[in-house]
Amino acid sequence: MPSWQDFQPFLVTGLALGGVYALSGVGLVVLYQATGVVYLAFGAVGAMGALIAWSMISAGIANWLCWLVCLVFSGVVTLAYGMIFGPLLAKRDPLVKAAATLGLLLVLFGVMDLLWTTSGGESRAITLPTDNGGFSIGQIQVTWTQVIGLGVGVVIAVATAAFLRYTKLGTAMRAMANDREITATLGVPVRRVEAAAWLGCGLLAGIAGLLLADMVALDATTLTFLVISSLAAALIARLRSIALTFAAAIVVGVVQNMLVPISSVSNYTDMTPFVLAAIALLVLSRRQVLSRSREET
Amino acid sequence: MLDTTDVAASARQRARLRPPATATLVRAGVIVILLAFALFAIPQLLSLYYVDAMTEVAIYAVVSLGLGVLVGRVGLVSLGQIAVLAIGAWVAARLLFATSQPFPLVLLEAGLITMAVGTVIGLPALRLRGLYLALITLMLAGAFAIVLTTTNFPNGGHGFLGYNGALINIPPIRRPSIAISDPAYYRYAVVVAILMFLLVFAHIRTRPGRAWAAIRQSEPAALAAGINTTRYKLWAFALASFVTGVAGGVYAGAAHYLYSIDFPAQNSIILLAVVLMGGAYSLWGAVVAGLLSQLLPALLNNWGVSNDWLTILFGIGVVQVLTTAPRGLADQVPKDLSKLGRLLLRLVRRPTRAEAEAP
Repeated sequence: MPSWQDFQPFLVTGLALGGVYALSGVGLVVLYQATGVVYLAFGAVGAMGALIAWSMISAGIANWLCWLVCLVFSGVVTLAYGMIFGPLLAKRDPLVKAAATLGLLLVLFGVMDLLWTTSGGESRAITLPTDNGGFSIGQIQVTWTQVIGLGVGVVIAVATAAFLRYTKLGTAMRAMANDREITATLGVPVRRVEAAAWLGCGLLAGIAGLLLADMVALDATTLTFLVISSLAAALIARLRSIALTFAAAIVVGVVQNMLVPISSVSNYTDMTPFVLAAIALLVLSRRQVLSRSREET
Repeated sequence: MLDTTDVAASARQRARLRPPATATLVRAGVIVILLAFALFAIPQLLSLYYVDAMTEVAIYAVVSLGLGVLVGRVGLVSLGQIAVLAIGAWVAARLLFATSQPFPLVLLEAGLITMAVGTVIGLPALRLRGLYLALITLMLAGAFAIVLTTTNFPNGGHGFLGYNGALINIPPIRRPSIAISDPAYYRYAVVVAILMFLLVFAHIRTRPGRAWAAIRQSEPAALAAGINTTRYKLWAFALASFVTGVAGGVYAGAAHYLYSIDFPAQNSIILLAVVLMGGAYSLWGAVVAGLLSQLLPALLNNWGVSNDWLTILFGIGVVQVLTTAPRGLADQVPKDLSKLGRLLLRLVRRPTRAEAEAP
């Protein structure tokens, strides 16, 4: 059994990764609440944004501009998808809406594999300038990127919760989560509120894509399917509570990384989000009632 | 999953009440001719490359059939069917290395063991419905893919896992003695596929099929009608796992060597896409899905076109199917063809009518 010393660096990476999971999870929960869509293409959009940023950085364009393009790309693609297919699928059940985002995932995945091919064994990396600076707590090195990872997660979670609680748009989103038809009847511009949710979720996808490209790997497959780990946190919160999503994301990130030094399970650490989410879903579903199936089916 | 009105099923029920019409005979004739073509003509006509591709088509048609039962009949969406296929292949490979049992017996055992695993996983998952079930199967498939990368497939080693880390002198997974060559194995795979289709067909036409149709339309109503919904949902899981497990066994023999990279989790997503595109409500849809997912890549490879175009196409296809044509290609193409036929007929007829009216 490794000593506490061995675990310390992984606690830091775990918190940072948990922060990014948290901001992704919050984006997914807000979009689900406002539109009823589980956005499975979240990771793919962020990955493509990060790859575009990588290409631009390689071409020698100023870094801040590339990051901006990454965010804009993710935001615009997500918004466009939401504006075109949101209304078309608005009356269908959540499963169909989620399955349709798998279509977007496949399209983006194909395009990424086509344009940024991995067959030649090329490896790409985005290095944020915050990787170099940092400080140490005791003997643990902490980079600014890791601070940003956790910090952005905290800020986004708090800001989103406050936004939903105190602003007019946020109230409208919560109203739509309760009942779309009644909200529309009350004169809330439903389409515009949905558009805001799509755009916000897309921007978060871009941020998550950039941070994960630096912290994990800049690879289409990895980034595309990292969304499943963020989704795990959102699912533990049953796609409802922002606070619970944040807590679950941090737990998932920390547990996943803290298991790395334990050699007998180190190969299996990537299973953490799946296993935690599966257990949480099964435990939570014990109290499910058949007749209350409106929001479940 | 896609809509609750089951036009096809009610039409089929009406058809069953009538005495066998000529349409049924024609349909049976078409099926027999197609099967004869698949069994005898294809191995003669096509090159070895395409015969191998058609073997994959037969295997994936069965995998699509399993998912089609879940999606189209019961309304359960699984995003982890490739993991189930991998379990079937793993079990079959382990048994083929460990024992000298005849191949069909190994296939049967692989199907049964996969069925047991699928049912054990399905039992708790059945508490969940719709979206949550789809997401938990995605999670489980992701977890399983990681386990598989670490344990690897059996390669003639000892112990429970049967993997010895050797990179050279790996014995190939054996095939049945009557189907050593690729064309012979292709025929073998088609025969297995036919048996699996018949098994599913028998289920759909009898009590479980009716129970599934009731569950898909409304679970509370099915419950009220006295249908044991849990039992029949589990039954569907078991049937889908069984046919997928058997397909995994056929895959093991076809591939000779198995690697975990052959079963990536994203293939489950592509599988769902092609099953929806092919049409989850009809058995033909499973054949279309098999052709889409295996023959098209082989064709594109041959033409030197990247398979990524296909991924993009499937992505567009799944969105199109979900938004406009929920019954898939197997239903849409004949309809479109008859529409086109009528249109052409009208174009041909119009001049004659104009002539008739002219004087």
